[in-house]
Amino acid sequence: MKKVSSLSELGFADDIHRTLFRPIQQAAPPSPTQRRTKISVIGAGNVGMAIAQTILTQDLTDELALVDAKPDKLQGEMLDLQHAAAFLPRTRILASPDYAVTANSDVCIITAGARQIPGETRLNLLQRNLALFKEIVPPLARYSPGTLLLVVSNPVDVLTYIAWKLSGFPPNRVIGSGTNLDSSRFRFLLADHLEVNAQDVQAYMVGEHGDSSVALWSSMSVGGVPILSQLTNDKAVMEQGVLEKIRKAVVESAYEVIRLKGYTSWAIGYSAANLARSLLRDQHRIHPVSLLAKGFYGIPDDREVFLSLPAQLGRSGVLSVANIHLSDEEAARLRRSANTLWELQQKLDL
Amino acid sequence: MKKASSLSELGFANDVHHALFRPIQEAAPPSPTKRHTKISVVGAGNVGMAIAQTILTQHLADELALVDAKPDMLRGEMLDLQHAAAFLPHTKILASTDYSVTAGSDICIITAGARQLPGETRLSLLQRNLALFKHIVPPVAKHSPGALLLVVSNPVDVLTYIAWKLSGFPPNRVIGSGTNLDSSRFKFLLAEHLEVNAQDVQAYMVGEHGDSSVALWSSISVGGVPILSQLTKDKAAMEQGVLERIRKAVVESAYEVIRLKGYTSWAIGYSVASLARSLLRDQHRIHPVSLLAKGFYGIPEDHEVFLSLPAQLGRSGVLSVANIQLSEEEAARLRRSADTLWELQRQLEI
Repeated sequence: MKKVSSLSELGFADDIHRTLFRPIQQAAPPSPTQRRTKISVIGAGNVGMAIAQTILTQDLTDELALVDAKPDKLQGEMLDLQHAAAFLPRTRILASPDYAVTANSDVCIITAGARQIPGETRLNLLQRNLALFKEIVPPLARYSPGTLLLVVSNPVDVLTYIAWKLSGFPPNRVIGSGTNLDSSRFRFLLADHLEVNAQDVQAYMVGEHGDSSVALWSSMSVGGVPILSQLTNDKAVMEQGVLEKIRKAVVESAYEVIRLKGYTSWAIGYSAANLARSLLRDQHRIHPVSLLAKGFYGIPDDREVFLSLPAQLGRSGVLSVANIHLSDEEAARLRRSANTLWELQQKLDL
Repeated sequence: MKKASSLSELGFANDVHHALFRPIQEAAPPSPTKRHTKISVVGAGNVGMAIAQTILTQHLADELALVDAKPDMLRGEMLDLQHAAAFLPHTKILASTDYSVTAGSDICIITAGARQLPGETRLSLLQRNLALFKHIVPPVAKHSPGALLLVVSNPVDVLTYIAWKLSGFPPNRVIGSGTNLDSSRFKFLLAEHLEVNAQDVQAYMVGEHGDSSVALWSSISVGGVPILSQLTKDKAAMEQGVLERIRKAVVESAYEVIRLKGYTSWAIGYSVASLARSLLRDQHRIHPVSLLAKGFYGIPEDHEVFLSLPAQLGRSGVLSVANIQLSEEEAARLRRSADTLWELQRQLEI
């Protein structure tokens, strides 16, 4: 992409660097095993840019590439990040509508996707996004054959399945942001109520990122201490669906933000950057993310569905799936989530 | 502001904290000298939210308050930040259309402002923003009488003057973001051309944040070494206005981003967060910011204008103004900048 306001074009001397700086003698080239880390973000909309900016602020990578279909918007976003050069550690920022700019990425984050039109069926939205992913995923996979794919676009579970199919990658290298953010919202509500730091609250939402998500009440803890029994002073209240109302409130909170400000951006930005860090820096941390769930928690081996389970993440992607004890109710809900997604996937023409 | 999805409302037991946690015996209340740091951001648009989010990511304050005239958007933005609780250190986030939410702030950052309508004169834009600032500044000053005021809204120099007049604060406590970002853009262009890190480039733009800004060419250095003479291979080229074209390119780069993506946000977010850090953490760092410039660099004592000069910033605001050697050309341009702003201010009815 042509650089505007290049100082060479404006009359500055070229090759100034050699005048100002001299290398030491007999310097050897960098070791071939040393390489720069690179993250690509596909889609420079509100979500993609919040992710990109958070990655930049947290100094997660040496190189950041942005791709979007709209070249002017893309160029503007790139310049806006570059202009902060005096305030940030030096990160190389590239942008192009051409996927060649993503070559050799360690992580590719896909945020591009059509939004649901009022009255549109979920299947229809999925067909439109399938068409879009057929343009996005193959070139990404070709330019970075060893990369980790992180899908954020919604509906994330089926789109992660689609990305997996279109990329030809092994399943450990294709992950969806899934319920990582739902779990954060869940922990926020609980932490606020309990007057503790959200990072001391262990509470997972798993399954579908959406209406049929599953809140793992039985394994919630604060500072390592299981707390479910202490939360409700009335077992009758528990039976009457208080917990279900809270789960729905978590699911609803995304829609609430969309209704109030038009879209969500900041929270998903932090969520995706958090996943990128665990992957890139081989943190072996557990996150609820969308992955190939067949064979886990009673989901049949022939059901190639992606849904969120608590998984250990590292440099090679999904390292393992945590074996959490589920109540019968939770296990049943998880399998229902899997069935719902399986039915939906069957109707797609991949 | 009423909390939706409050767990108490949904049936969770109140006062659970006491059931889960017990204080140690004979605990004394916190020392009165220890306090919570608080930053308020007025205006939850693209600029205000980029600033707020960067401040949050960089963990600059214990408490962050947002104010805007649009309650729904404001609430949506607050929730979007709160939902990231699992990924961030604990920061208390508040939002209200009522300025009492800003009470006790260490720093109040004002980003609210009318945008220039096509064909509108600068004076007309200023009159509209003066009316807006009459709503904003007095309550902000009332609720945080000891705060540092940081004005970002444009045209920033005159609006900082207006904020100073309306607040009744001493001039060291009223600062405009001024040319802090212009200088970053300047450094970015130079650093790219010289293949160095932008943070090794010392290069100030001062004066008006706008068309009559002044690039301090005579004091540019890289790694401490003055470089002006080495930059242009042809002294004739220098005379022919190469340097002026570069200065214009810096001024133009903001408009370029606006033309491409509709507005600027990320760079100003980092710029202001950088100022907030220097102020709040008493860093004694030098930044080019808009301050009361009378008596400096030959600007007459009776010209109460705000414009950018390199100033040392700390917990009490502007600690001092750096005494940089200017060329005669630079000094003349600076005084012309001051005259331009002074003439404009005199036409306002404050």
